[in-house]
Amino acid sequence: MSKRDPTSWMRAEYEALVAQSLDWKLRVLQGPSAPRSVVDGKNVIMLCSNNYLNLSNHPKVKRAAREAIKTHGAGSGSVRPIAGNMDLHEELERRIARFKHRDAALFFMSGFAGNAGLIPQLAGEGDAILTDELNHGSIIDGVRLTKAQRVIYRHCDVTDLERALKEVDSWAKKILVITDGVFSMDGDIAPVGDIARVGEEFGAMIYVDDAHGEGVLGDGGRGVASHFHVEEKIQIELGTFSKALGVVGGYVAGSNELRNYALNKSRTWLLSGSHPPAVAAACTAAIDVLETEPRHVKKLWSNTKYFKKRLVSMGFDIGRSETPITPVMLGDSATAKRFSERLFDEGVFALPIVFPMVAKDRARIRNIVNAGLRREDLDEALAAYEKIGKELKVLA
Amino acid sequence: MRRVGFVVNPIAGMGGRVGLKGTDGVANEAQAAGAEPIAGPRAQLFARTFLELSKHDESLRVRWQTCGRAMGAAPLRGAGVSEETIEVVHTPGERTTADDTRRGVDACIGRGAELLLFCGGDGTARDVAEAAKDRIPILGIPAGVKMHSGLFAVSPSVAAHLLVSYLRGQLRIGAAEILDLDEEAYRKGEWRVRLFATAKTLVEPNLVAGGKVMIDEVSEEAIRGELAVHFSELFENEPDTLFLLGPGSTLNSIATAIGIDKTLLGVDAVVGSKAVAKDLNEKGILDLLDHHPKAKLVVSPIGAQGFILGRGNLQVSPAVLRRIGTKNVIVVATPAKLAMTPILRVDTDDPALDDEFHKREYLFVVIGYRTSKLHPIQR
Repeated sequence: MSKRDPTSWMRAEYEALVAQSLDWKLRVLQGPSAPRSVVDGKNVIMLCSNNYLNLSNHPKVKRAAREAIKTHGAGSGSVRPIAGNMDLHEELERRIARFKHRDAALFFMSGFAGNAGLIPQLAGEGDAILTDELNHGSIIDGVRLTKAQRVIYRHCDVTDLERALKEVDSWAKKILVITDGVFSMDGDIAPVGDIARVGEEFGAMIYVDDAHGEGVLGDGGRGVASHFHVEEKIQIELGTFSKALGVVGGYVAGSNELRNYALNKSRTWLLSGSHPPAVAAACTAAIDVLETEPRHVKKLWSNTKYFKKRLVSMGFDIGRSETPITPVMLGDSATAKRFSERLFDEGVFALPIVFPMVAKDRARIRNIVNAGLRREDLDEALAAYEKIGKELKVLA
Repeated sequence: MRRVGFVVNPIAGMGGRVGLKGTDGVANEAQAAGAEPIAGPRAQLFARTFLELSKHDESLRVRWQTCGRAMGAAPLRGAGVSEETIEVVHTPGERTTADDTRRGVDACIGRGAELLLFCGGDGTARDVAEAAKDRIPILGIPAGVKMHSGLFAVSPSVAAHLLVSYLRGQLRIGAAEILDLDEEAYRKGEWRVRLFATAKTLVEPNLVAGGKVMIDEVSEEAIRGELAVHFSELFENEPDTLFLLGPGSTLNSIATAIGIDKTLLGVDAVVGSKAVAKDLNEKGILDLLDHHPKAKLVVSPIGAQGFILGRGNLQVSPAVLRRIGTKNVIVVATPAKLAMTPILRVDTDDPALDDEFHKREYLFVVIGYRTSKLHPIQR
């Protein structure tokens, strides 16, 4: 007999998750993530991808990936600091900086890797990190890796942030304020203008994770800092290519000092193999598209306005959303789950967000509007909403 | 079928209506003054609500382990609970006593109850907790004169909703404080609440933060571990500071995790991670302060009510607080406890000291390793 069973605990923990219906049940896309996709063998209108602008299917973006494989191969061969730093990576970073109106940028494996790698290097012993209570898990994990004192301020509450800044001001060497630009559960926008203003008074670094604002908000989709016209007051902007830009990978943009510091210090950057050439080239092409084809962002917003307006006129509660992330509030988890199942039957793919991801009485379906949806797609989805809303007595 | 214990104190709450501020030792007097029973009807309301909530869900079938007559079986039957799901595990005499409560609870646990619901007030909570001895969680259906303890649902129907959530695996088990007023003193016009014990109860897990909550959701146990690391570091970083640790389960678990032997209900003293004195009274604390010019007090709010001073820790007198300085009071709570405690309060018996706290409007509350949150403090 051996001393212990090395893996039985896994089954026990997994079974406990299943018993509480907390396990993820994976659905399978058969083909591209597109406005109309095939999911588990069924043709559905896609309302839950982050592919806001449908750039993952843009011919220029796909072509760039194919070309890069021809010229540079399938993989990069190494980490960036050793032998995996290709001209395609450097070119992408110049293009990010130009697009974001910043001096420099650094491309990470993912937005998560950006937060988890950079935040621990920005604050340590004797410093303070002030972080919104609803910030993304990757920020939470990045913050956990530091020795700084952390203060959690109330969601989007600048008054509470200011109070916290005053409290830490007397002892903190450095102060780092971190917020999401757009919050992914409710689709509300952080008051980044006011956050930058109060932060500046205290000499705080302002760090914005704009994963859901990139390609959506601001001039030509330049993000939340551009939306509030405070780019020069935000020292660190983190973004991702996996959402509106349609590919994968994260980045930070800011000053040359930020890039130099980040690439020498961030362990997730230093110790990860670099992105394959196809990814780097496709990301550059996605920026090209954003810079030269403003119609995608415009279409996203006209779709968003139409979809929200129709939902509200039917009598649905769409919460505090100000962006294409459009929750439909349904109250209890069982209703939200049932609603989502019925939507899928009717050919609409939109996932329920239930307890414990949100409070028990705030279960919802989270829709993410896409620029690639045609008016008739939206009408079809809305008709399903109306039908099921009445069927489940959510609507009168 | 899930087994749930159900114990009613039929005389709970009778004193209140006739101005007796509690029913401990004066039940006869209350009855003579024309007091009407209130626990029975409230227990029945709870059971009726639960039946309604659970009627379409097979997974919510419950076997009720209860006491005879007014101590449980009668209100269950009155609500329409079917006879085959009622199991009487203890039959009281004509006149029920605290001993019946204790024996009923013990019998329920003996027959395999996984959760115990009781209907009564703080006095009943004490008896129930004493008998349960932390073996299973307990939840109160409020029917007493005073409900200071942190394990009461806000109403009988909310208790029914909580039971449903518990059976569906949506609630966590956490610790609550059992407090009771010294009723003898209270009847003479003195307000003296004591912390008697702590017990397991049900808590609504609160989100520590949004985002990928499936990963962020941190268990109460993990949080207490984090808090222990936080304080252990603090004690070691300030080896010259005397730390006074207040009563309650939060601080007890922190101290235990660090390896400090701490009393559950007393104020204990620590210097550089070593316990230097236990269960101090006011004089003991003042003597220690004579030898330690630098001192900090660590307290945890009483769940829901929010008192950090003046309830359960009267040995921390105004004289003690003035010596330590209100700025050196460190408040600690788990995020779940803080979320159910909207406001922090103090009642130091010294208005000027209370004002010093109230003027600050917000206090930092330590909620994790090097992690804090501003929380309002009010009158």
